[in-house]
Amino acid sequence: MARVVTITSGKGGVGKTTTTANLGTALAMQGAKVAVIDADIGLRNLDVVMGLENRIVYDIVDVVEGRARLRQALIKDKRLPELCLLPAAQTRDKDSVTPDDMVALTDQMRADFDFVLVDSPAGIEGGFRNAIAGADEVVIVTTPEVSAVRDADRIVGLVEAAQKGPPRLILNRIKPKLVGRGDMLSVEDVLEILAIDLLGTVPDDEAIVTSTNRGEAAVFDTQSQAGRAFLNTARRLAGEDIPLMAITEQQGVFGRFLGIFGRKRA
Amino acid sequence: MGFFRNLFGGRRDNSAELAKQRLLTVLVDDRYKLTPDTMAQLKAELAEVLARYLPVEATDIDVSIMRGEANDHLKADIPLRRSNSSEEHG
Repeated sequence: MARVVTITSGKGGVGKTTTTANLGTALAMQGAKVAVIDADIGLRNLDVVMGLENRIVYDIVDVVEGRARLRQALIKDKRLPELCLLPAAQTRDKDSVTPDDMVALTDQMRADFDFVLVDSPAGIEGGFRNAIAGADEVVIVTTPEVSAVRDADRIVGLVEAAQKGPPRLILNRIKPKLVGRGDMLSVEDVLEILAIDLLGTVPDDEAIVTSTNRGEAAVFDTQSQAGRAFLNTARRLAGEDIPLMAITEQQGVFGRFLGIFGRKRA
Repeated sequence: MGFFRNLFGGRRDNSAELAKQRLLTVLVDDRYKLTPDTMAQLKAELAEVLARYLPVEATDIDVSIMRGEANDHLKADIPLRRSNSSEEHG
C-alpha cells in the first residue's frame, strides 16, 4: 500500500522537480516500488529532469479522460525497473484534471507501489490543489531566501487547512559559506520561522546542473554532495533514522574538491 | 560600500539576521492580516479598555506577535505611568 507524498513549495524555481526526481530515484535504488507523477499540467518538466522525455506516449490527462490505461501511460526509468513516471500533459491546462480525479488516480496506484510522489506546480491555485488532493503527507521544499520562505509559510497554512497533517520541510540550496558569515538564513533560522519538522537539508551544488543537463538524478553521482543529501532525505522519508548531514563551509570546499575529480572522470 | 567593507575585511552587516526579522514581521502580516494600521488601532483600543483601571497610554504600549512551536503568541508590554495623579485612576 503506497504512501502518497506531494512535493510542493509555493514559490517556483526552488527545486521541487529536482527533489521529486532525486527522492523517487533514491527510494527506488533502495528497493522500493516508486511512481512519480508530474502534476504540473501544461509545464511538463519531470520527464526531462529524469531523462525520459523521448518515451512519452500517453500522459496524465489521457489517463484521467480514459484514452489510456494507467499502465500504458507509466514510463519505466532507464536504469531502475522499479521506478516509473506518469508525465504531465503539455498541451492542456491545469483545469483538465480535478482534485477528485487526482484522488481516484492516486488511489488506483496505491496497490502497485510503495511510494507515489507527486510533483506539484508552483502557486496556490488549482494545480496545487490537484497536487495535494490525493496526498497522505506533504513535503515542502524551500530555499533560504525571504521570498521562498514566505511562500513556504503560506503553503504550511494551506496544507494544514486541507487537513493533510503537518508538512515536513526540505531546505534546498544552502550555501554554507554564506551561512557561515551570517549572510544566509541558517537551517535553524528557517525552522524557527516556519515551525515545522525538518526532513532534509541539501547544499547548493553545481553537480545538480550537470546531472540535470544529462537527465540523470544526482543521487547516482556519489561525488555529489546534493546527491548524498537527497539520498539521506529519501531514507528519512522511508522511515529510517538518519542524522542530518552537517553542511559546513569546510565540507563545502572538500565537496567541491571531490566534485572536480568527479566531473573530470565522468 | 558593501564591496569595500568586504575588501578590507571590515565587519559585515549580518544580512541573515535582517532577513529573519523581516520575515517574522511579514509572516505575522500574512497570517493575521495585521498591518501597521490595524496594529495601531489594536493598541489604541487596548489602551482604552485598560485605562479604565490603570494609568495606561496607548503610545507606551508595545505589542508584538512571536512565532512559537505550537502556537504564536501575542505579547504586549504595557508600562504603567508612575505619577502622582495615580489616585485619579484608583
